[in-house]
Amino acid sequence: MSGIDETAAELRRRIGGQFGRSLHIRTLDTGSCAACEQEIRLLAAPHYDLHRLGLFFTPAPRHADLLLVTGPMVRVMDTAVRKTFEAIPSPKVVVATGACALGGVYREDPFVHGDAGKVLPVDVWIPGCPPSPLALLQGLLVAVGRLAQKTPGLSFTVDAP
Amino acid sequence: MPLWFARGLHRGVVTSRYPARTDDSSVFLPTPPAFRPVALTRSVADELCAACPSGALRREEDVLVYDLGACTACGRCAEVAPEAVVPSGEFELATLSRSALIKRIPLAGPDR
Amino acid sequence: MPLDLIYAAAAGWLIAAAAGLSAARTRSGLRLACALSGLAGAAAAAGGGWTLIAGDTRLVTVGDRGAAAVIGGSLQLQVTSLAGVFVALLGLVAVAIALYAPRYHEPGRGTGLYLAAYNLAVLACLAVLIAGGMVTFLVAWESMSLLCYLLILRRPGRPGVAAGAFWFLALSEIGFLLIVAAFVIVSAKTHTTELSTMAARAQLLTGGWRDAAYLLALAGFGFKAGLVPLHVWLPEAHPVAPADGSAFLSGVVVKIGVYGIALFAFRLLPGIGSWPGLFTMGIGAVTAAIGILYALGERDIKRFLAYSTIENVGIIMTAFGAAIVFHAYGQQALWALLLLAGLYHVANHGCYKTLLFLEAGVIEHATGTRDMDRLGGLIHRLPRSAVIAFAGTLGIAALPPLNGFVSEWLIFQGLFQGFRTGSHFIAILIVVAAAILGLTGGLAIYAFVRGFGIPFLGMPRTRQAASAREAGQPVAGPGLLALACVVLAIGAPFVLTALSRAARTVTGVGLGPLLLPGNLTVIPAHADFSALSPTYLAVFLIAACAVPVLIYLAGRPRAASVTVPVWDGGIVTFKPRMQYSAMTFSAPTRVTFDALYRPSVSVRRASDDPAGRSGPVHYEAEVTPIFGRYLYRPVIRAVEWLADVISPLQSGDVNLYLFYVFTVVLVAYLLGAV
Repeated sequence: MSGIDETAAELRRRIGGQFGRSLHIRTLDTGSCAACEQEIRLLAAPHYDLHRLGLFFTPAPRHADLLLVTGPMVRVMDTAVRKTFEAIPSPKVVVATGACALGGVYREDPFVHGDAGKVLPVDVWIPGCPPSPLALLQGLLVAVGRLAQKTPGLSFTVDAP
Repeated sequence: MPLWFARGLHRGVVTSRYPARTDDSSVFLPTPPAFRPVALTRSVADELCAACPSGALRREEDVLVYDLGACTACGRCAEVAPEAVVPSGEFELATLSRSALIKRIPLAGPDR
Repeated sequence: MPLDLIYAAAAGWLIAAAAGLSAARTRSGLRLACALSGLAGAAAAAGGGWTLIAGDTRLVTVGDRGAAAVIGGSLQLQVTSLAGVFVALLGLVAVAIALYAPRYHEPGRGTGLYLAAYNLAVLACLAVLIAGGMVTFLVAWESMSLLCYLLILRRPGRPGVAAGAFWFLALSEIGFLLIVAAFVIVSAKTHTTELSTMAARAQLLTGGWRDAAYLLALAGFGFKAGLVPLHVWLPEAHPVAPADGSAFLSGVVVKIGVYGIALFAFRLLPGIGSWPGLFTMGIGAVTAAIGILYALGERDIKRFLAYSTIENVGIIMTAFGAAIVFHAYGQQALWALLLLAGLYHVANHGCYKTLLFLEAGVIEHATGTRDMDRLGGLIHRLPRSAVIAFAGTLGIAALPPLNGFVSEWLIFQGLFQGFRTGSHFIAILIVVAAAILGLTGGLAIYAFVRGFGIPFLGMPRTRQAASAREAGQPVAGPGLLALACVVLAIGAPFVLTALSRAARTVTGVGLGPLLLPGNLTVIPAHADFSALSPTYLAVFLIAACAVPVLIYLAGRPRAASVTVPVWDGGIVTFKPRMQYSAMTFSAPTRVTFDALYRPSVSVRRASDDPAGRSGPVHYEAEVTPIFGRYLYRPVIRAVEWLADVISPLQSGDVNLYLFYVFTVVLVAYLLGAV
């Protein structure tokens, strides 16, 4: 899966057709503080309820379609990350979430990669610290092409004083 | 047991309808900031960059490079320069490319 | 004609014994002896099969005077249909072992003696089966016991061999006494020593004597067959005998015990009432359950298989017991059916248990150990043996499409029709027995997933297991038995036709039209109950397995596929010690049934550091041998006490002995005068 927007959009449509309504997610914590994990766990709670959207968590990467990565990619997790990624059958989507996984907070050093994109071919990035369950839902639905991404159209500037 | 059941029936369905309808709780979410370019002088920009603990802000010449991905919505930049920073209210931030999360905000100009 | 084949087989085994004794020092001599044994086996199998279909042969009396001088009575031989099944099984097992032995044994003097003992033991078993008279039967029986004792003692220097052989011999002798007592009662009441005449005059035995004779026979033959609590020699003797010896013991000798019970239950004492039948059925069910439960606690492959033999004998006994009950309540068709199902299970179990013991020998040969927890991954190193062992495992776990499934299905269908007896109480008891057999069946699948999976699948747990090689391992013998399992399953309609003829000869009830309505379907005695077509089932299962394979082949992705390692949780290295071990796999059963196992656990640490840094921890868990401790040990102690009490009589003083002689002569004179 390349990161170029146009081809990515095309791939999104194709992937969305395959598991847009039934997506199995495998979460992987690569050394986070677990705040992202708490938000992810809340997705299964009655208030946000990801099952109503056809999203499911699975512990077995063999049964997963999407890899949800949190944490700054500590180097001791290299083998586990590689094995988990390889165990997920193609086609697969990789989503990185949380400021740590997106390169913030921790710089690259002998113990930490710092950025999930340095280790895995990430398709969707979800910022937040931690990302709220609603942000996660939006990100997952963007990943399967059911929602369009909003951020490229936002400027984050306010003109009026 | 019946009391709990009755209470639940009274409360009704609490499941969010997102994304079909907006979720009422989303107004309370901490969100990354948006900036006022008119208030962004070089010194203000430098103060903001120094205040950010996660390296989301960087000044390159006359551009404030704002990395949404690194932002933790801690609010320190708003404390330091409240006239330049407002909460954006945006929480639907997922992107398909990392570069789309890096916003380049032009500064107002050199120090007045 | 079948009798001629049997004579040829007997002669073959005699010659093979002589050949083994003289020529087994060279490899070609070893092969010759085994070839002779195999040919004799083929002849016996043919003769047995023929008798099944053709009916009983005539009674032949051989050499009155000479034989009477040697063995105390004339040698009387007759091959009955009932024995025909067992003779055919004996022949088949002999052929398989004959194919197996040349590659398993090393040529030498010890092997020569062993082969002589083995061939003579086979001959003795044959003699038991074709004995037409009481004296022949008993002499052959005792010879069989003694020769099997020699068989087990192949390597007397090794630990446990002498003890295992002694257990076998001791319990065989106790059983022999009880068998003699049973035969004496029947013979005295019917005034004859010929078995067929005894059968014809069975009505001369009434009430108490009949029941006593039956119970004595049940106990006496039960020692050999392995009924609980008379089974303790099986787990002691089987591991220490050579692989083909264990296979012979479990595949044939135990079945001779079953034959003895069948002889008394169906030929000599057919009018036995319902409560001996219920007792037999109960003992059978308990034996089956206890057998498989103890099997789940074993790490040694051969002990595990020995306990599984006990379980299967229990199933056969349940079938025979229920048959007796049905006969007592006038349900003749079910009587014949359960006899037939029991005989079918005898044949099936003989095939797959022999196969499994031979494969256990291959494993021991290739890796040097019988301990399941030291094995693993043998399916890659011994591929052909693994396939054959899998066929045997499928059979013994009673899974379709193989033969164990058909015979157990028939037994269950017979038991489920207990309501036809008309008595609620009896029907409930029969259903309870069926329920216990159901539990046994489930545990058997569990046990054999463990029995096949731990040694063959996964990764090797030790270097011994990793260094196993297929080259030079015997394949033809076990392979023949695997083929026999498949044939017995898919050809079940034909096998059942032959067995139903035997059942008709024994019971007088013809099951033919009720059993197979012509289109390869099996009906258990009554057409309104159930039906099964083993042939179609086997074909369907194989076809159903082919469907996903075909779908995969048709829909295989065009792009190149990626091969990645097995998912192991993402850890850095997967160590063989992280796999299930045999004991942890069966731990849930041992926890659930701990009232039976009464495990005693001892944990010793080097020091008592609460943080756990105390060094090696020694963990020992032991299953209490309840039969050994609570039944046999008190009896042994009582016998020893009695011997101590009597020992003053054996003072060694010649004068005292002369006094004994004088006293006995005086008493005999006085009695004679009176």
